[in-house]
Amino acid sequence: MQFLRILLVGVLLLAPLPATAYDILVLQSLREKGYDEAVKGVKRECQATMRTVVLSDYAETDITRIMREEHPRLVIAVGDRALEVAEKLRNTPVLYMMALNVKQRPKSSMTGVGMLFDPVKYLSVFDSIGSKRVGVVCDPSKSGAYLKRAQAAARRNGINLVVREVHSPRETPAMLDSLRGKVDALWMLPDVTAVSPATTEAYFLFTQGERVPLVTFAEVYLSMGGAVALGIDRFDIGKQLGEMAQSVLDGTPVDQIPTQSPRRALLKANDGVLRQLRISLGGGG
Amino acid sequence: MQYFRLSPVKGFRVRLYLLFTGTIALLTAAFVFFYVITEINGFRSTLEREGRLLATILAQNARLPLFAENREALSLLAAGTARYPSVLFVSINNSDGLPLTEVKNPKDSGGGAIDMKVPVTSPGRVLSPEAVLLGHAKVDEERVIGQVHLRLDTSGAHERLKKLVAASLAIGTLFWIFVSLLSYQILKRVTASFNMLMGGIEEIGSGNLSSRVNLHGDDELGRGANAINAMAASLELRELENLALQEELLNSMKLEVQEEKRRVMARLIHTNKMTSLGLLLSSMAHEINNPNASIRFSGHIIARIWQDVVPLLDRVCREEGAFYLGGLPFQKARGALAENAANIVENSERIARVVQGLREYGAGDGAGLRPNLVLNDAVAAALSVLACQMKQDVRLRTSLGTDIPPISGNKQQIEQVLINLILNAMQAFPDGRGEVVLTTRHDRDASEVVVEVEDNGVGILADTMERLFEPFFSTKLNQGGSGLGLYISQYIVAEHGGRLQLSSTPGSATRALMILPVGGVPL
Repeated sequence: MQFLRILLVGVLLLAPLPATAYDILVLQSLREKGYDEAVKGVKRECQATMRTVVLSDYAETDITRIMREEHPRLVIAVGDRALEVAEKLRNTPVLYMMALNVKQRPKSSMTGVGMLFDPVKYLSVFDSIGSKRVGVVCDPSKSGAYLKRAQAAARRNGINLVVREVHSPRETPAMLDSLRGKVDALWMLPDVTAVSPATTEAYFLFTQGERVPLVTFAEVYLSMGGAVALGIDRFDIGKQLGEMAQSVLDGTPVDQIPTQSPRRALLKANDGVLRQLRISLGGGG
Repeated sequence: MQYFRLSPVKGFRVRLYLLFTGTIALLTAAFVFFYVITEINGFRSTLEREGRLLATILAQNARLPLFAENREALSLLAAGTARYPSVLFVSINNSDGLPLTEVKNPKDSGGGAIDMKVPVTSPGRVLSPEAVLLGHAKVDEERVIGQVHLRLDTSGAHERLKKLVAASLAIGTLFWIFVSLLSYQILKRVTASFNMLMGGIEEIGSGNLSSRVNLHGDDELGRGANAINAMAASLELRELENLALQEELLNSMKLEVQEEKRRVMARLIHTNKMTSLGLLLSSMAHEINNPNASIRFSGHIIARIWQDVVPLLDRVCREEGAFYLGGLPFQKARGALAENAANIVENSERIARVVQGLREYGAGDGAGLRPNLVLNDAVAAALSVLACQMKQDVRLRTSLGTDIPPISGNKQQIEQVLINLILNAMQAFPDGRGEVVLTTRHDRDASEVVVEVEDNGVGILADTMERLFEPFFSTKLNQGGSGLGLYISQYIVAEHGGRLQLSSTPGSATRALMILPVGGVPL
């Protein structure tokens, strides 16, 4: 099967392709539901012609050859792997979305929509539930920049972020233990070091033992004991990126378009947890 | 070599009881066995389940400390688990198999232990933050991060096994005793009717047909008892009938024996008479023969002497003239003397023949039948015997066939039959005048010879005719008749394979027929 796939890719890549007339090359890392939703959002907002290449369908993709032969005006990278491939391009603007490991470079022809909300959105949630001491566990090498923004916003909102830095997932339980009695709420960041599958339940054990709410970044954690989740809307991220693509196609230089955070947040709460903690989203409990 | 064998149990109740109690004992033993096995397996399974549960709980609780390699927290967890009484040893190892903490329970394992190892895994179906944000599907993949090792004490299982076996055996034995007693009572009640039926059957079978099975009821045994009672009644009735028939038969046999005894006695008497008669005849013959021989000799001498004297006397007569001899003139006396001398010899010879006939009759062999018996010779012999009985007024006319073949028979016995028949015929004339006709002939068609004696006397009455062949029956008992003549004659003729027939017309005639087979006595 693998051989057939390689053969098919080879035939596709080596065959003299007709000169295609599409504007956007969409590089999708995987065939995943989340990526598909985002791509649909792009197509909703941007009417330009597109070709989608799912990288996981091929063993190796010669993006340079595709660019040389097909000359798309814009590349949209969906996911970290697609972004990694698209980073090789120098002359074609690249828009990215659904990527977590974005490395910002100065004067880059690359921009997009990140995966993290503006910290203000989370802080407003903490504010709404009346938490003033919010514990945060994170890896500074991964979430340091975002943490700085959050700390600055927190200071503005009068919220004290009690930060514990971890450099390995094994440190997370101990760091969480160190937060006992020191926080009113716990903020779970999408930090792969701080939040690993092996240590995820430590957050919920902590919040259960301390009887403090856990504010997280995805709805799935609500069923595990999270109190409030600010989830992303992947379709809307796609739409957001579609608007950016349309703007680029309309002539706006990419370097003039700043990286954006997801503009639409889906607020979900576990009513049972909130009821047990006697917390309402309207004010402190 | 002597073999010892247990005598088979014959009682139906006992056999049924032994079978029942044996079956109950087997079932109880099997139940106890399976119960103990099941309980022990259940106890072991429970122990294993408990150990696995403890290990699983410990693995769950130790997941985060193990991931964080928090030995202090792991020690606390292990110590908490080791407080369970059945736990001998607790160890929590990392993914490389190295123990991060160990707790040993000092108590003695004694009766054995089982080891329980449960892997410690990271929670499955929990995604990384990236996957959650990107909307990746959940993958049910658990990663083993360590292992919990528990050693459980199973000595309690052995103690429990001992107690369980003892209790089960005690309960099983009590149950068996109770069921055995109960079954005995039930069998006793159930088989009472059966025993009663068997007792009745044995009583009837021993011969007491008047006995009855005193069992009532509509069940099978009751119906069986009724049927046996009916059968016994029927047998009793048959038995009574048989007894009556036996008694009747016995009486008949007694009568027959008595009758036969009488017949034998009569025959013995007759034989004795005949023997005496034979002796008498022999004696008489001897006494008569001697003088008769002398007479015959004298007659011959006289005839010879006369033969020699006649010429002399003729010359004297011629010379001297006629003279008288014995009051008769010589010429008459000459012939008369010769004639008388001849008569003396003739009659003497006749006497000799008669005496010889009497001797042969009296000393005859009545047992043997001899071939080539000429019937007419027997008739002549009988007539010679009866010559002196001939009466002047009774005329005897004989018509003897010439083509009569010889037969097998006893001449004396045939003569005796003929004498009886001729005498009876000669005595059938009340006034002493009549005619007797004796005829012999050969019936070729029937291959028989027939002697017919017919008289024209008074005939025989019908009542008398029916009893003619009875022994000692005679109409002339006052005239010296023995009543055995026809009886013996019929016996003799029957012994020769023939038959004796009498027919009579009362007041006119009587005819007697002796019919004998030509070919001899049939076997």
